[in-house]
Amino acid sequence: MIVMNAVVAAVNAASPTPLPVTVPGSGIFQSSLLLSLMVWAPVLVAVVIAVLPNPRGRFDALMKQIAFFTNIGLLFILWVAYNQFQILGTVQFEENVPWLPAIGAAYHLGIDGPGLVMLILSGLVGLASVLASWGVRERVRSYFCLLLISEACINGAVVAHDMFVLVLFWGAATIPLVLLVLGWGGPRREPAAWRLAAYWGLGTIALLVATLVLYSAAGGKSFDMDVLFRIPVSPRVQLVAGLALIVAAATFLPLFPFHGWVRDVYSQAPVGVCVVVAGGATRLGGYVLLRVLIGAEPIGAQLLSPLLGLMAAATVVYAGLVVLRMTDLRRGAAYLAMVPGGVTVLGLAALSPLAIGGSVLSLFSGGLAAALIVGVCATLTERAQTGNLHVLKGLAPRMPSLTWITVFAVLGLLGLPLMASFPAEAMTFFGSVKNQPLAAFAVAGGLAITAASLAVIMHRMLFGTPNPDAPGVSDASSGEKWFLGVLAGALLWVGMFPGGPKLPGTDTPIFDPGLVNAMAAGITEMASPYAAK
Amino acid sequence: MRSFLLVPEALVAGTALLLLVAGPLGGVPRSWRSRLPAIVAVVVVAAFVVELWAGGTLATLFGGGFIQDRFALFAKAAVLLAVAAAIAVADWSAEDSLSTGLAMTLLAAFGVMVVASAGNFVPLWAGLELAAASGVALVGLRRPDIGLRLLIVGGVATALFVMGFAFVYATTGTADLLAARTIIANAAPTLPLAIPVLLLFGGLAVRAGIAPFHLASVPSSLGASPMGAGILLGLVAAAALIAAIKVAALLSPVPETLSLYLEVIAAVAMVGGGAAALGVRAPRARLAYLAVGQVGWVAAGLATHYRSGLGGALFLAGAFTLAATCGPAVLGGAEGGEASLAGMGALRPARALGIAMVFLSLAGAPPLAGFFGEFTVAAALAQSGHFGLLALGLLGSVLSLVAALGTLRVLYLQSPPEEGRRAVGFALPAWTSVSSAGAVAFCVVIAAYGAFANPILGLAYQGAEALGLR
Repeated sequence: MIVMNAVVAAVNAASPTPLPVTVPGSGIFQSSLLLSLMVWAPVLVAVVIAVLPNPRGRFDALMKQIAFFTNIGLLFILWVAYNQFQILGTVQFEENVPWLPAIGAAYHLGIDGPGLVMLILSGLVGLASVLASWGVRERVRSYFCLLLISEACINGAVVAHDMFVLVLFWGAATIPLVLLVLGWGGPRREPAAWRLAAYWGLGTIALLVATLVLYSAAGGKSFDMDVLFRIPVSPRVQLVAGLALIVAAATFLPLFPFHGWVRDVYSQAPVGVCVVVAGGATRLGGYVLLRVLIGAEPIGAQLLSPLLGLMAAATVVYAGLVVLRMTDLRRGAAYLAMVPGGVTVLGLAALSPLAIGGSVLSLFSGGLAAALIVGVCATLTERAQTGNLHVLKGLAPRMPSLTWITVFAVLGLLGLPLMASFPAEAMTFFGSVKNQPLAAFAVAGGLAITAASLAVIMHRMLFGTPNPDAPGVSDASSGEKWFLGVLAGALLWVGMFPGGPKLPGTDTPIFDPGLVNAMAAGITEMASPYAAK
Repeated sequence: MRSFLLVPEALVAGTALLLLVAGPLGGVPRSWRSRLPAIVAVVVVAAFVVELWAGGTLATLFGGGFIQDRFALFAKAAVLLAVAAAIAVADWSAEDSLSTGLAMTLLAAFGVMVVASAGNFVPLWAGLELAAASGVALVGLRRPDIGLRLLIVGGVATALFVMGFAFVYATTGTADLLAARTIIANAAPTLPLAIPVLLLFGGLAVRAGIAPFHLASVPSSLGASPMGAGILLGLVAAAALIAAIKVAALLSPVPETLSLYLEVIAAVAMVGGGAAALGVRAPRARLAYLAVGQVGWVAAGLATHYRSGLGGALFLAGAFTLAATCGPAVLGGAEGGEASLAGMGALRPARALGIAMVFLSLAGAPPLAGFFGEFTVAAALAQSGHFGLLALGLLGSVLSLVAALGTLRVLYLQSPPEEGRRAVGFALPAWTSVSSAGAVAFCVVIAAYGAFANPILGLAYQGAEALGLR
């Protein structure tokens, strides 16, 4: 009992933020290690899975269940953290331990509003990816180990408050994802994996260069974001670091012309991996732009905003034009997944508080929408036994569930009302039309092209005359419905209740303080240099 | 405490001599042979513990020829840890002679320890030669032709080094490193000083196997037994790197004399090593080229000629010694193409994890020892404004990472061939409880090197300070 009390006392160290006691879940437990739990718990479980005896795959199902309940546990921790989160401009749940003091690197974690939003996105996408991977039959142990490690790396990059830690997790995320594509991808998995490694390797180099340029310009004393971002550096340095950051973000998001990996990876990777990449890992690109360029280098951001606007416009227009000519469903979905990234970057290019807020929400909604469109198209291709759009016709009567989820995904991608992407795109466009009018109109035009193309394709593929020569089709399995449902449900939930729902008949919020309010914490300070705009 | 200072050296050298004498005379009982690697590993671990316990004492022995300072402590602790792990993890059934293999490994480690504690040029040279000679002996045991080639190349390296040393001695009038540094601090960066520096670094580059001088050491390591390759790629290179750090510290008051050489060497090694690693498929060849790339990073750290750069280089040299020495040992007899590793993740999980750790660490992948070392050097390069070298290093690292991922794919994602179809050179390493425990211990050490980087890097920086750098 004494030992247990000591352990409980150690774990229940005081939280840095006082509690809103009226919120369910906020008082369940408190720990100063919440963010470390989000990062290291999946790694620990991966190690456990790796050493579990599994003769002839007898415990494959158990490993899937362990991965599933790990994600449920992470979501529970996230729910507790969310309800303890306060609407303040400060970084919360901080952990700061010196790591390499000789060069000024520390294990410094912490999140503000945008960080919390990204963490929720990562949690939801992680759960969806495990559900989407339920059908994996080969080397189950290795697959789920790598999947959990990739989730941990994404979480680590989100909560990093030291550039060294950010580079570490950002770079580390590439390794398990490349191996997942290599090991469980389609027939052309090798070129897909190596392209991913090459592009994301370039992105990691670019992020490292930006980090070291800022570090050097700031006197070479610290990698801590609190220190590094507060030391004024010359416009030239900001410009160089900003260019490197744009390259890093563009390879991940991806943005035109750094999108070379998209088609191969999304068309060859297994569905669960596609979901993690499209929903979680790629959003890190936008997050880094927001956190480091927009949030810390205002002069560099202003100098580079035309370039950002141009890349956003080129990305959305290019994706729309490719979709216009697409003949393969999964490849088309790959380009569709680029669209939310373009919208996010448009908001960041506009450099107005409203557009930046829209961009942050678009990171969340865009991640969900990209994961959903890639996931549903991959599932549909598997269920229909072909992705050829000349063959796929009139599927709605034979696969009703997938049909409606596909329609839902398209609506979510295009940002129609009731979807989380609607307020995100509305804020982005309203906030950017003054500062980046040409880019905003180009992005809107790209979205219009995409919408028109999708309308034609959906009509023919889902509601047209069935093709008697097409292979046999079947509707989604329950596991597939669940993973697609998680993504679609989250998209709808935030779209319907952006301020957060209340417990029925009371004023008690189920999720406090509501995603949009939580997101706003931290943006105000970040956007303050651009408030005049 | 002072009386314990030489205990680690005595343990290592004494055990080596005992093995050398007992082996040919049949003094090792047959029943002990299977336990001998474990016993020797325990002796080396004991030497490591004594080094950590007593090595903090500052002392000068043998008229200034032996200096015990933080630099020596760091370097010796790193090499002892690497050797203990390599001996534990090695597949000794793939060696030609158990007692000779163990003895040569220990002698090579002793040579590195002598270099680490060297107070003047003579022990520096002697330690370097001892480490290299041990490697030649072990390689020659299996392949006399390669041993001969290695001997010739080693002779060239020695000639360059000794000529450089002689020129420096002629310029400064002393063989003592600290005294020579004081004299050089007041000298101008002249051509007569630049020429011996070129010779010195040329000799050390050949010994360390840095590109383009790797054309001798890398092919030699390919024909060697696993421990022979470990000595060549890890311990001899470590001896050369430690000597290079000492020479760089000696010349740091006149950086113009060495920076250009080191920058060129580092650039070629980092990019060339990564590109060559990508171009080959045989696991040991890939490992050798990855090692070349990481040695290039150490050279880049030296090119900064600041405490942070040299401290970072020393920190990375520790990680490199660990991975490069244990790499061939953990690979075992997998000397054929990459098919020799196919499916090892399922058949030998601990060893496969060790191989993965070696490749990823040498490639500088996060979050392993090599990443922390390379990041520290990268920070030093940024501080000193060497952005071109930094960019080349990062390019080399990406190439190395892609190469390492290729090996991981074979380890974990390819199905193992049928046992009956395994050809010579494709045999799986023998499974023993000691080697499995050694592989796990090695994985823990290489992961912990980054996780506990704070005290380790602190010690490395103190080591750089001990060389007179601020």
